Amino acid sequence: MSRSAVRDALRGLLLFLVLASTFFLLIGRDPVSMFGAILTAAAGSGYAVGESLVRATPILLCALATLVPARLGLISVGAEGQLYAGAIAGTGVMIAWAGPPPLLLPAVVLGGMAGGALWALLPALLRNAAGVNETISTLMLNFVAALAVTWLVYGAWKNPQSQGWPATVEFPDIARLPTLGDSRVHAGLLIALAAAVLLAWLLGRTRWGLGLDVLCSNPRLDSVTSLSLARQVLLTMAVGGTLAGLAGIAEASVVQGRLQSDLAQGAGLSGFLVAWLAGNRVGRTVWIALGVGALLASGDGLQMSERVPSSVTLVVQGLLFVAALGAAAHRDRGTRHV
Amino acid sequence: MHLLLSGIGKRFGAVQAVVDADLEIRPGEVLSLLGENGAGKSTLMKLLYGVHRPDAGSITIDGRPMSIDSPRTAVALGIGMVFQQSTLIPALSVRENLVLALGEGRWWIGRRGQALRALDERLQALAPGVDPEAAVAELSLSQLQLVELVKLRLRAARCVVLDEPSAALAPAEAQRLWSLIRALAADGVAVVLITHKLADVRACADRVAVMRAGRVVAQVGAADADDDRIVGWMVGEAPPAVRAPSGSPASRPPRLWIKDVSVGVARGIDLQVRAGEILGLAGISGGGQAELAEAIAGARPIDAGEVILDGELLRAPRRAPSPSSRLGVIPAEPLRNAVAPALSLGVNLALRRFGELPFRVDRAALERQAAQLLERFAVRPADPAAPAGSLSGGNLQKLVAARELSQRPAAVVACYPTMGLDVTATAQVYETLFGLAGDGTAVLWISEDLDDLLHYAHRIAVMFEGRVVRVLDAAQTTAFELGAWMTGLAGPVGRAAAGSSDEVFA
Amino acid sequence: MSSVDIVLAGLLVSALRSAAPLLLALLGECLTQRVGRINLGLEGQMLVGAVAGYATVAATGSPWLGLAGGAVAGALLSTVFGWLTVAAGANAFASGLAVWMLGLGLSAYLGTAFVGVRIEGFPLWIGGLTPTVALALVLVPLTALWLFRTRSGLRWRAVGESEHSARALGIVPWRVALSGIVVGGLFSGLGGAALSIDITRTWAEGMTAGRGLVAVGLVIVARWNPWLCLPAALLFGLGEALALRLQAADSAVAAHLLHMLPYAVSLLVFTLTCASLRRDPRSGGAPAGLRAVFER
Repeated sequence: MSRSAVRDALRGLLLFLVLASTFFLLIGRDPVSMFGAILTAAAGSGYAVGESLVRATPILLCALATLVPARLGLISVGAEGQLYAGAIAGTGVMIAWAGPPPLLLPAVVLGGMAGGALWALLPALLRNAAGVNETISTLMLNFVAALAVTWLVYGAWKNPQSQGWPATVEFPDIARLPTLGDSRVHAGLLIALAAAVLLAWLLGRTRWGLGLDVLCSNPRLDSVTSLSLARQVLLTMAVGGTLAGLAGIAEASVVQGRLQSDLAQGAGLSGFLVAWLAGNRVGRTVWIALGVGALLASGDGLQMSERVPSSVTLVVQGLLFVAALGAAAHRDRGTRHV
Repeated sequence: MHLLLSGIGKRFGAVQAVVDADLEIRPGEVLSLLGENGAGKSTLMKLLYGVHRPDAGSITIDGRPMSIDSPRTAVALGIGMVFQQSTLIPALSVRENLVLALGEGRWWIGRRGQALRALDERLQALAPGVDPEAAVAELSLSQLQLVELVKLRLRAARCVVLDEPSAALAPAEAQRLWSLIRALAADGVAVVLITHKLADVRACADRVAVMRAGRVVAQVGAADADDDRIVGWMVGEAPPAVRAPSGSPASRPPRLWIKDVSVGVARGIDLQVRAGEILGLAGISGGGQAELAEAIAGARPIDAGEVILDGELLRAPRRAPSPSSRLGVIPAEPLRNAVAPALSLGVNLALRRFGELPFRVDRAALERQAAQLLERFAVRPADPAAPAGSLSGGNLQKLVAARELSQRPAAVVACYPTMGLDVTATAQVYETLFGLAGDGTAVLWISEDLDDLLHYAHRIAVMFEGRVVRVLDAAQTTAFELGAWMTGLAGPVGRAAAGSSDEVFA
Repeated sequence: MSSVDIVLAGLLVSALRSAAPLLLALLGECLTQRVGRINLGLEGQMLVGAVAGYATVAATGSPWLGLAGGAVAGALLSTVFGWLTVAAGANAFASGLAVWMLGLGLSAYLGTAFVGVRIEGFPLWIGGLTPTVALALVLVPLTALWLFRTRSGLRWRAVGESEHSARALGIVPWRVALSGIVVGGLFSGLGGAALSIDITRTWAEGMTAGRGLVAVGLVIVARWNPWLCLPAALLFGLGEALALRLQAADSAVAAHLLHMLPYAVSLLVFTLTCASLRRDPRSGGAPAGLRAVFER
């Protein structure tokens, strides 16, 4: 990391500690013990580590889903909607599957990826065809997708056995991604990490990645390089959508076991800010996503040990991003990956 | 108002923009402040206007020393400045802009109040023909300047500074501007005219001050100095001589044929550029020259017609444009149009052959290969890993030239290539560009500098409102004739009287 | 009563009541965008406004104090956005989303005590209207006249068009920008409070359900004109009211599907507006300071 980047990070960390401590004091808690409790709840035991990884996985996938279009200069916040779309598609495959059982899992996973990719292509097409700003269109589509899930679990896909809580039937074991030992850590994490490695190579060491950098730096150069901006918009959004869709179907099939409302738990928004803070660099994205996932996962443990509502971790997450944004001054507008 | 600037100094970071500058501005006089780009003229005047604060020196107004710490203060003192980029707000109406400019007043403006009617009347008196309700964006360039001057008159400015006002005006509009400036001076206003064109000086200046490298190197009466002395002060040495084009290419075969091309505003453009010929293209901005250049470059689809290079079809409607190694393109504003600012010099140099790069790209290798090319084209600083955005305008253009011209293309399209560059950088770009012509390349050169066109081009085509209205032999025409064709003043009469040395169509 | 009667009876009133919180937020964001800033944190500001307003009513019993409390809360959160974008120069989109996230967390935390608690809101006036609807409606002409006919409104518009030119005119752009952001926070906090105090009379996590984001999109549809904010908000309100009524009329189409209608419609109009803006950027009336958002 360059000297100025290290300075920015330290300044951000300091500001975060100040802001978070102030918040803890305001709610009548000792900051030191709160930070300690968060760390313990996040990583204090094998179980805690497992839960942190589980929470981090969709955040990482959504961060990568934001990062790939961002390399082209697109500011897409649509990972959450793509996550839901993937969950819907994969669940649909599970419910309607009539093929041979061994193929159910790959079909569900591929269906999830396809659903996410298609949902991502929508704002991409709108941008190409009508110049629609992708930040706003993806935000709106997020809500449409979330509402679609609610519609399905209250209606056509409602599990007659789940009384008060509307949800679909549970995913059968053969449709679930394999997990690690006793924890809920699932293969989705491995796929995410493998995708990160692959993307790092593609973006940094191939002509495709260079082309994205060129178009991002100056979209008018498409004629010089004979690249098509429109085609890359579609491609990068689709790649992102695939990853977010995977997050969705993983959450539905393995982590939560069924499709239900608020499946995403804010992973899309967290993922966006993780990618932003990482400067759209893959390596940093992984670390920051793991950290944020750990923070959010500590909420339940925190509730038990410190008797504060788990939403405290949501506030702390918000303060983290505010601090990081505030400390890194002099950034140019739009996306950049320095 | 009598102003005296003494010993003014200002530095920005490591750059000393103004050093120990003395300047006297007298009422009722037009002082022309000359200098190359970067000489410090604008900075000095911005110090007077309170945009910046001087590090050293003093400003005395009517004998009293003043500290001008903001434009508000300057305006209150009666100093007004018309910037190169108009500070009128395009989306608001003329009336709204003037209300804003007049500063304090009642909180309620309304629509039809008495104060507004009084304002409208004064506007009509000073600038007849300008509609107060019209949005500033709809005004022509000379109307814009008129409103800027009205703004200053309304504020009863006693000292008016104009920063390069004639930069984009046609000769006739420039005439009107100069008479306005003389009228201002006749009213007792102290006028400062910042420019780098000697024609402005000869037209209306009483005194001349020249700046070079941040210092005021001369302050004399306009009648006391001839052009060569002034240029000598500006440049500090004899201006670098660029070889004028040699040979008459009239007999050579055409290499670049723009065949009945229509794109955007430009309609039915038919031009041929021969081997080793420099064909200049002049016209008021917005007349279609830029679109034409973009279409030939492949940055814009052609609506109709064809572009043929060395007998092969290069551009046609509905045909996907692909970069050709036989055509070099040097656009205006390289940072905006030709360069990826965030990427390194080495990568930028490789962009022309992007399609031929292997799938696995080693950016460090690209940077190593670039070093030689950077040396050859004198790009400074010659660090292949530095981001392109860190280069100055002149070096950016040299970088683009290095990329486009290093493979000895068959033809080159240069679109305002020296815009914003100082004399030295301009000379370097011309040297490269016209040197190629000497080797047989066909050069299509779009420029707004009529003097340069007349000096270096073989033939000059003039565009007006999207059409080529005249093609003239550069050696046998003048700036005024070009200007007349550029503004449509010379019409079909001139076209019908085509002589043997003038061609309408190549 | 036939199904049609159920649907149409009092539809306008219902639409107005539904639209009022959105209208308030919309007016606020309109002013913010008029000074050249785009605040995606509006959603977070509405949420803290909702919870603060609700808490104030629960504590004091006065719905007017509740509205005031919500407005103050929204304004306070907006200062975070103002600090990030004006003082620290951070990217507007990222800052807005961070503020949204903070608002989500803060409102969830502060609201834990109030989930499921009911309060008494405003009494109904004739025709089913409430004071909040009147407030929102009155603020439309007030905002419009202030923006277009007063000197300070003109100054705000100047800053939104060009900070450079505004500075040359002696205006201090950052002060105006910050004011625009805080006023936006005030209005959106007010809108959130209107939602929890007047419409639902309960508190639930995330209850604004994206209204703040719809507001950001609808400002473009309203062409940054406060007058047009009213029909734009009504569009949304109508969609919501229709959904509720069709549900009551036992329509075969599921209610949740209909809840997607307002967002889908807003997206559609936003798309059409962007398309026409692309063809002729000047026709839209977008403040030039926002150009980076719309021109690619």
